[in-house]
Amino acid sequence: MMLPLPSVYRGIFRTAIRKLKSSRNPSLHRLLSDCDGVQTGLADADTIFALSSGHGRCGVAVVRVSGPASATALRRMVGFTHRLPPPRTALLRSITDPCSKEVLDRGLVLWFPAPHSFTGEDSVEFHIHGGPAVTAAVLHALGSVPGTRPAGAGEFTRRAFQAGKLDLTEVEGLGDLIHAETEAQRRQALRQMSGDLGRLYQDWSHRLKRCLAHVEAFIDFSEDELIEDGVLDRVDSWVCGLQAEMEEHLKDERRGERLRSGVQVVIAGATNAGKSSLLNTLCNRPAAIVSPIAGTTRDVVETALDIGGFPVLLSDTAGLRDSSDLVEQEGVRRARERVQQADLTLLVVDSTRLPSDVQQVAGFLSDHLKTVLKQPETDKCLLVLNKTDLLPEAQTEKLKQELRRVSGLPAACPISCQTSEGLKDFLTVLRSSVQTLCGDPLSGAPTLTQSRHRAHLQQCVAALGQYQRYRDFDLALAAEGVRLALTSLGRITGRVGAEEILDIIFREFCIGK
Amino acid sequence: MLTKKLLPAQSFQLLVSRNVGHLSRQRYDVIVVGGGHAGTEAAAAAARVGVDTLLVTQKIHTVGALSCNPSLGGIGKGHLVREVDALDGLCGRAGDWAGIHFSILNRRKGPAVWGPRAQLDRQLYRDFIQSELLSTPRLTVLEGSVEELLLTDPNPDEPGPHRVSGIRLANSGQSISAASVVLTTGTFLSGSLFMGQTTSPGGRIGDAPSSAGLSHTLRERLGLKVGRLRTGTPPRILKDSVDLSLAELHPPDSCPTPFSFMNTQTRCKPEEQLPCYLTRTTPGVEKIVRESLHLNCHIQQDTKGPRYCPSIESKVLRFSGRSHQVWLEPEGLTSDLLYPQGLSMTMPPEVQLRLIREIPPLHRAEIHTPGYGVQYDFVCPTQLSPSLQVKNTQGLFLAGQINGTTGYEEAAAQGLWAGVNAARRSLSMPQVALSRTESYIGVLIDDLISRGVTEPYRMFTSRAEFRTLLRPDNADLRLTLKGFELGCVSPSRYQEAVRVKNSLRDAMAALRAVSLSSTHWRERLPDIGLSENKMSKLTAMEILQHTDTTFEMLASVFPESFSPYMEFAQRLRIEAVYKYLCDISRRDIKRIQKEENMSLPQDVDYFSLSSLSMEVREILDRYRPSTLGAATRLEGMTPAAIQVLFQYVSIAEKQKEIMQRQQQNQSEDKEDLCARNVSLPQ
Repeated sequence: MMLPLPSVYRGIFRTAIRKLKSSRNPSLHRLLSDCDGVQTGLADADTIFALSSGHGRCGVAVVRVSGPASATALRRMVGFTHRLPPPRTALLRSITDPCSKEVLDRGLVLWFPAPHSFTGEDSVEFHIHGGPAVTAAVLHALGSVPGTRPAGAGEFTRRAFQAGKLDLTEVEGLGDLIHAETEAQRRQALRQMSGDLGRLYQDWSHRLKRCLAHVEAFIDFSEDELIEDGVLDRVDSWVCGLQAEMEEHLKDERRGERLRSGVQVVIAGATNAGKSSLLNTLCNRPAAIVSPIAGTTRDVVETALDIGGFPVLLSDTAGLRDSSDLVEQEGVRRARERVQQADLTLLVVDSTRLPSDVQQVAGFLSDHLKTVLKQPETDKCLLVLNKTDLLPEAQTEKLKQELRRVSGLPAACPISCQTSEGLKDFLTVLRSSVQTLCGDPLSGAPTLTQSRHRAHLQQCVAALGQYQRYRDFDLALAAEGVRLALTSLGRITGRVGAEEILDIIFREFCIGK
Repeated sequence: MLTKKLLPAQSFQLLVSRNVGHLSRQRYDVIVVGGGHAGTEAAAAAARVGVDTLLVTQKIHTVGALSCNPSLGGIGKGHLVREVDALDGLCGRAGDWAGIHFSILNRRKGPAVWGPRAQLDRQLYRDFIQSELLSTPRLTVLEGSVEELLLTDPNPDEPGPHRVSGIRLANSGQSISAASVVLTTGTFLSGSLFMGQTTSPGGRIGDAPSSAGLSHTLRERLGLKVGRLRTGTPPRILKDSVDLSLAELHPPDSCPTPFSFMNTQTRCKPEEQLPCYLTRTTPGVEKIVRESLHLNCHIQQDTKGPRYCPSIESKVLRFSGRSHQVWLEPEGLTSDLLYPQGLSMTMPPEVQLRLIREIPPLHRAEIHTPGYGVQYDFVCPTQLSPSLQVKNTQGLFLAGQINGTTGYEEAAAQGLWAGVNAARRSLSMPQVALSRTESYIGVLIDDLISRGVTEPYRMFTSRAEFRTLLRPDNADLRLTLKGFELGCVSPSRYQEAVRVKNSLRDAMAALRAVSLSSTHWRERLPDIGLSENKMSKLTAMEILQHTDTTFEMLASVFPESFSPYMEFAQRLRIEAVYKYLCDISRRDIKRIQKEENMSLPQDVDYFSLSSLSMEVREILDRYRPSTLGAATRLEGMTPAAIQVLFQYVSIAEKQKEIMQRQQQNQSEDKEDLCARNVSLPQ
């Protein structure tokens, strides 16, 4: 079993991809969105290429090419006119665009003839300088070589699997274990692999099979004597029961998925409240530029964090204010969009701007909340009252007392990013909020961990609805509903549609690994 | 449109050589052995494809006989009859000719699972089949018994170590050669009959047993794996001795639905149909079964019988203390017999009489012929290819009960398909297969060859994954055009199918073209209960999908658009209701076809695939599925095993590719070497 990149890169990688997709670099954006739509066929005659190292600025970027046209790509871009370089040997060469003949970069090239390569096919690796412009240019140049296309997600791994280079018989839990960036994710992945969730779905699958068997029996045999009356009534109640259980399971507020993919925490608030300072404080490094000038942050700045063992994707957003600056307007729009999608919003308030009469603070905060969040839900928001170092100590105390007294507001934490005062208490509150959002992976009923599972379960519930809809006037169509339900569930438990499952599993392994 | 005229019985003698000495030829393209449902369809199909065909049967008189129940069709089986008819086979038209009680089973459960069924007049059925065969060009029927198969050296261009070259007849020892031989020996292969404690060789009461030579050839010379199955038939009862007033009357459908796409009505007039009667067993029946077990050889054997059509003995033993249904079915318009369906039994005749008299309407009944059991050899069908040709013997085809199936319809379906392929082989044309995504025949054959049988195989609708597509109403659209390309469908049937197809297409377009707001629909069709909150525009197609709508209603509102299609009213309604789900199924079919297209080589050494469990390796080695799709349907296969196979196939294909390219590269490199005089890279 070959292990992919160390897991720590993956968080960065995912964030980077998202950032890259929202970036305004049209050629890269096109490349990435092309990748999403690529279907992987059974026989891969195409030659695929992708950036295999992390996206974004870095020292060295590795671009991998695999497939029959790899040699052509090597010849055209590195100028090996006749002979190919010795296999598996690094050579320093100029890399040129095959059309414009322009030199794009100078880097290492490696030639891996089949079958001694990661994918088992002819492969080439380009180790080039890691700037986005260079990688974009090389990827663009590769795309102009006949017979090549950008790789689909996980396609290199998929080809390696097909060529027998990988022995992947088990499955997504394993994939998640590799992906587990935090301790809690690792525990959930382990639990899934050991089969709690699998057992739950298997149980449903067995019961659905039973429903189907009874309906089928009623169709094929009821005109003989082998079927007693009331068979369908029994199926009706089974189907209702299953539907109710699945709907209950689906109503878990996405806890498991969140644990798997990270809790979206968004820092929002007015300009100059100290949002970027909070981000930098939380991640212990100057990830965002801070300045006393209002409107410094204009785009969404993201960073991945581990808070109490739970994965958190923290985004800093532009300060919310009306602005005539077009760029800042867009930043504000994005900030509001992020807040809408967030699992948890940290509303940062400059405590020096609070009313000096502490009795009015609650009303002020409540009004402020309404301007930021369309429908303020107290459990999806934390109030961060920043800059307490600028308040007189007595005022801070009064403020704290008042906040303990009032109800109906989200938890509020007076802190100072400057002096780290109150930070520890705030982190405790934040951790418990995140924990609530993720649920405890080790207790209670197993939770849904993948949006793919959710989609199939929703299909399953819908298909059972088809059974109920048709039950009284076309039993063949009603039975088809149960069959569809079983097929949908089978796509999770892995009993049906092996090919589709493979597609999805391999899509979960990201491009170029 | 029943236009076939029956030939008078004496004309057989004129048309058929009863004596081998009179047989004018020593060579045919196709020889079919057996004159039951599989044999007659096979011979007729081969002749339709256009080759000289010889049907050899022990008794010309019993060609087309209904050996067991006097009925055709039913749930799943009715689908097969419709498909055989769509491919221009005999049984559908014969059923329309001989039917005396028509009904659609499952009428309330949706058109995809409707089961067209008919009680038949035995004599009329046999007459129709015989006259059809005798009026089929290129087809000769010969009375005789086959002693053995003639074998010859295999053709090196085809797979398989053996090749069949003809047959040798039993009495004269004369040889007749043929490119293809279709064996449809039914229950006659090493058949034995059981009644009480007596056993006699044979496949059907009153007929001579088939020769031991044939069985020997299959087992010993061809090395085919053979299993044993059993079946049975009930006693026939004199109608006059039955008190039908004590049974429940079951009338037929008031308007008979023909089996055949070529018929708009049946020979039997609606009012001339005969009823069936329903009665039930009593505790006395169970008592007699239990008391007579020691006198019942057949039931003591552990041979596998049909679970779905069990004898009264096995019903009593498996579900004791219950009352079982007994149908009293007419045997024909003029017959003085009744067929008690559900009373198949093998005890001594005097016990049979005591038993049936425990059933109220039969309390004074007289038995005309006692029931009996049959045990027979079948060839494990996993040894067949999708064309029903034996994998290891070129030119030998098997169809019907010899492949482990039960039922007339299953036999007819296989017979037709084997006949088509036998004829194609003799014309040096490639073998053809029907997919399980397009027909029940495809489901039947694929199940047989990829899973084998452990009990007599019977068709059910639940065996078909794409049941909403494979309906009895659209068998013509699915198969007739394809059948015409294969040569087994007559031009007139083909033209009719094309006409139907085009009309349905036009009608569906017309249904989509008419579009009104729901308010207008409510005004025009107040009865359909269109819900008030639907504000958007609705097409006539969408209205037709509505539970209470019929095509006739639409035609009354828009006569100019829809009245030309009135003859298809029912089919159009079905098409409209099923359209959405059928579209989903078609997408699934595409995926399956991809798997079906990944062929697994026949010479894989499965035991060398160490990543598979030993159990899976054994299964694969035993069944040798021809495609990845077939492998997924094997019992005992796991998703992980399928992944490994998938991987294996991909590697095999890739390696072929790589080897080709390496050869190319090597030649390039050599040129390079000559040109530059440098050493080759490692």
